[in-house]
Amino acid sequence: MKIKAKLKNGVVSVKAMAKHKMWTYDIAKKKTGNRNDANFITHINASVNDKVVFDASTSQFLSKNPIFKFKFKADGFKKGDKIVMTWVDLKGNTKTSKSKIK
Amino acid sequence: MERRTFLSLGFGALVLAAVPASVRAEDFRKLKPNAWTAKTVDDAVKALYGTTATIAKGVTVVTPDVASNGGAVPVQVTSDIDAKTVAIFQDANPESCVIVYDLNEHSIIDFSIKIKMKKSGTISAVVEGKDGKLYSGSKSLEVALGGCEG
Repeated sequence: MKIKAKLKNGVVSVKAMAKHKMWTYDIAKKKTGNRNDANFITHINASVNDKVVFDASTSQFLSKNPIFKFKFKADGFKKGDKIVMTWVDLKGNTKTSKSKIK
Repeated sequence: MERRTFLSLGFGALVLAAVPASVRAEDFRKLKPNAWTAKTVDDAVKALYGTTATIAKGVTVVTPDVASNGGAVPVQVTSDIDAKTVAIFQDANPESCVIVYDLNEHSIIDFSIKIKMKKSGTISAVVEGKDGKLYSGSKSLEVALGGCEG
């Protein structure tokens, strides 16, 4: 996951791109003939200093290699603090990535 | 010096007064499984919130009027409402619920995401206020090339 987090004027703006083929049930049926080959991110969150700053539960309808943009109040978070993001998909795969707030 | 002290005192008071929400955020896929199989927007809203009664103000949905690629329709939802969750729906796909954001004490409602839309339709967003009310906003758009085909 590529994560870009910028702190400006008390707000942290994040752009995170997850690499995932995001197959809907219809796409799976088309590609392999089997709807059960569908796989897509179902949950993603982000935390800074162990505090959750972003949490989303998701459907089969996000685009391939989805880009998540979100903002949160800096509230004591500083440049250099680590932001950790984790996603989980339908089949139980999971990926965690880290970056620093700039 | 005086102003900075005043500001930090004010913030401190806010944190004490507002009972902090759980540190661990909710996974709505597990919490509300029916929301993800609901076909219509009303059914999904009902499955998530127990009601379809919403106040149509305070929530802005931004999308292009015409999306050239139904596989990647950009959607942005903003709101100033003090809220618990934000959910996005559409009526162009086999199921209507797209994403549910579980908010925390640091959240600002300004989310952007790209979604798949099979055909032209309406994207709606519901903001679940801390006051117990549901607020909504929507935007209709045309989709030039349907997006569920990969």
